[in-house]
Amino acid sequence: MADNIEIEVKDLDFHYAGNVHALKKINLPIHKNMVTSLIGPSGCGKTTLLRCFNRMHDLYPGNIYKGDILFQGENILSNSSDLIALRSRIGMVFQKPTPFPMSIFDNIAYGLKLKGVSKKAALAEQVERALVHSVLWDEVKDKLNASAYELSGGQQQRLVIARALAVDPQVLLFDEPTSALDPISTAKIEELTAVLKKDVTIVIVTHNMQQAARISDWTGFMMLGELIEFDMTQKIFTAPSEKLTEDYVTGRFG
Amino acid sequence: MPTTPKKNSVDTIFSSITAVSAFSVIILIAGILYTLVDESYPAIEKFGIWNFLTSTDWDPVRESFGALTNIYGTILTTFLSLMIAIPVAVGIAIFVTEISPNFLKGPIGAAIELLAAIPSIIYGMWGLFTLTPIMSRHIEPLLKSIFADVPFIGILFQGTPMGIDILTASVILSIMIIPFTASISRDAFNLTPSIVKESAYALGATKWEVVKNIVIPYSKLGVFGGIVLSLGRALGETMAVAFVLGNNHRITTSLFDAAATITVTLANEFSEADTDMYFSSLYYLALILFVMSFITLAIAKFFLLRAERKYSR
Amino acid sequence: MTRQSRRKIGGFVALVLCTLAALLGLFWLVIILGDVLIHGIKALKPGLFINDPVPPGVAGGGLRHAFIGQLLITGFATLIGVPLGVLGGTFLAEYARGRKIALIISILSDIMVSVPSIVIGTFIYAVLVRPLGHFSGWAGAVALSVIMVPVVLRTTEDMLSLVPWTLREAAFALGAPYYKVITQVVYRGAATGILTGILLSIARVAGETAPLLFTAFNNSFFSTNMGQPVASLTVTIFQYAMGPYDNWHEQAWAASFVITIFILVLTMAGRLIIKWRYK
Repeated sequence: MADNIEIEVKDLDFHYAGNVHALKKINLPIHKNMVTSLIGPSGCGKTTLLRCFNRMHDLYPGNIYKGDILFQGENILSNSSDLIALRSRIGMVFQKPTPFPMSIFDNIAYGLKLKGVSKKAALAEQVERALVHSVLWDEVKDKLNASAYELSGGQQQRLVIARALAVDPQVLLFDEPTSALDPISTAKIEELTAVLKKDVTIVIVTHNMQQAARISDWTGFMMLGELIEFDMTQKIFTAPSEKLTEDYVTGRFG
Repeated sequence: MPTTPKKNSVDTIFSSITAVSAFSVIILIAGILYTLVDESYPAIEKFGIWNFLTSTDWDPVRESFGALTNIYGTILTTFLSLMIAIPVAVGIAIFVTEISPNFLKGPIGAAIELLAAIPSIIYGMWGLFTLTPIMSRHIEPLLKSIFADVPFIGILFQGTPMGIDILTASVILSIMIIPFTASISRDAFNLTPSIVKESAYALGATKWEVVKNIVIPYSKLGVFGGIVLSLGRALGETMAVAFVLGNNHRITTSLFDAAATITVTLANEFSEADTDMYFSSLYYLALILFVMSFITLAIAKFFLLRAERKYSR
Repeated sequence: MTRQSRRKIGGFVALVLCTLAALLGLFWLVIILGDVLIHGIKALKPGLFINDPVPPGVAGGGLRHAFIGQLLITGFATLIGVPLGVLGGTFLAEYARGRKIALIISILSDIMVSVPSIVIGTFIYAVLVRPLGHFSGWAGAVALSVIMVPVVLRTTEDMLSLVPWTLREAAFALGAPYYKVITQVVYRGAATGILTGILLSIARVAGETAPLLFTAFNNSFFSTNMGQPVASLTVTIFQYAMGPYDNWHEQAWAASFVITIFILVLTMAGRLIIKWRYK
């Protein structure tokens, strides 16, 4: 496998409990230190696919994976894989900001504490670095002990990104991270992805095609549980090989 | 109130009737308070407030009364029963919301509701006939053999275990309040958005870490309200303890001794009170109980309302 | 041992403890119900329902007086408590909707639901028993209705609030006065919920003992005169269980069995209706 591939999905099938066939024979690479976006009409399986990468589906009983997902060469769908360890290497950010019911500082420190960082100085240093990294430091450095609920929606979302970054993940999964945000906060998060990809690989699900075109290097177009086309973003949006892709990106449906 | 097309006299009558019905709640509460104060007035005048609250006398013959033994019994049994009930109830709530497979959630929830619906007299009678012998023959001797010689807590386990005592009463009371506490805690836990829980899982937290660090902090107002509500229930419970507490107006340190609570004293002595002062003192006890539980329930309501507001945003 | 496996083992232990707590809760239910069932069925004979008590120590006899008394007291309590509760709830959800007074009465009702029932017994004793000079079935029924009113009032309020506001607007638009909108449209929309609330409130008061001790008191003889002391199952259970005779204990178990089944069936029916209607 090539060095520049972080995750490789091979013949992935996914069934939700009750035998809903949500993903059909998906094959795609996720390139290292690049932004890969997944687009497609609602219900196409893009979020389902994203949640396979950190096996979020395992929280609910009855879901079945078939096929392989190789993360740095290791099959994360095998029974022996350690979900706790996996999730501390692959972070996730959700549609809505999800601050925990604790202070700003403790929110960021939470993942670090889980990993066993307990020295105050080390915690403080890594919390600051994560906040600087997510461009939130200047806005919150004077109120680290305030409740995270006091921040605005856009700030909360960057806080959540900082929280995910603090544990030094290799991959960040973004599930429509700006769908609940105003345009200014959205722009800040989009700028942030461009900076972050120097250090992490990013997979983003978005319902906003312009966003995918603006921020991603690779794009996958999905429909009805199938990956219709996967290519460089520029190619997808200018010269797609599939008719369906062309119809979608030119706004003829969905 | 919306404006109706035209003022209608039937409507005025109907709305007045509903208003009177609604205000009956205020009238009842005011009426209860007035009646209790009025009836206990002779005792209040004779024994005062502080003296009554701190006196351990309960002597119908000399007509000398004080509430301390009853308050002590009430608070001690309530406290012990909460100590037993809270961990179990919160454990049940965690099990139902986070651990149990889906097909078990319904039946266990229903079982909790049923346990809450069983009348307290059934708990009391079951306690007398079934639990008391088990306590006196097995559990209490065991506790005694383990703890009686331990410094400090040893005084809790002195005397002959008879089964009719503070410990048995507290155990029954705890069984009775477990379902209340559990079902309110479960409702509070269920308010934690799954996306917030998923965020913690996505950071590599274990299930227990999610419960401990996310679910419980997120719902603590509601759980606390539920615990205070159960406290109010326990304070005012009569029949579950009347069978197994005995009726002993002394302050004892051993959990193997009989005691009296305000409710048990009322249940046992109210219809046999033969002097006005005895009677008035019993009303005084009822007044104290009413005030105690009213304040407790108001606090519970305050927390539950705040919890509701916080999460409905 | 690595830090991670320590975390996992600690979490596992905690979750096992929670599971044990749930099992303990179920264990009590099974034990208590099982005990009541076993002892109750053994003592359950047709004579229990058709015979009146015989003197203590003599075999046979039944609890007809207590069954009938319980029905009378609970029935009249329902007749007093339900209209007051439903109308009061109507005021809160309709005429006073959104006003401060509605919130205050609503909160007071919630508190009232949990006021110690024995205190309500002493209250009714002071206003209905002593002035008349004797215990009476009426006093018992009123005491139970005092417990019932806030329960019914709160459920009615909640159920009426669930009826969409547009439904009322549609009726107003036809020119109906508010009382007709309420009685003909809103009540119909909330009927199942209110009925369920009434069922559950009956289940709640049917098992009450403490408020009857000094109101309806007790009666060893069959009597349907609500102006005199009336026996109830619950007070009879208290008296018989505390008494020294074996056949009293047996009858107490049998009575407990009947009342428990009655209340559990009502409760389950209520829950099922809610589930079926609002899910």
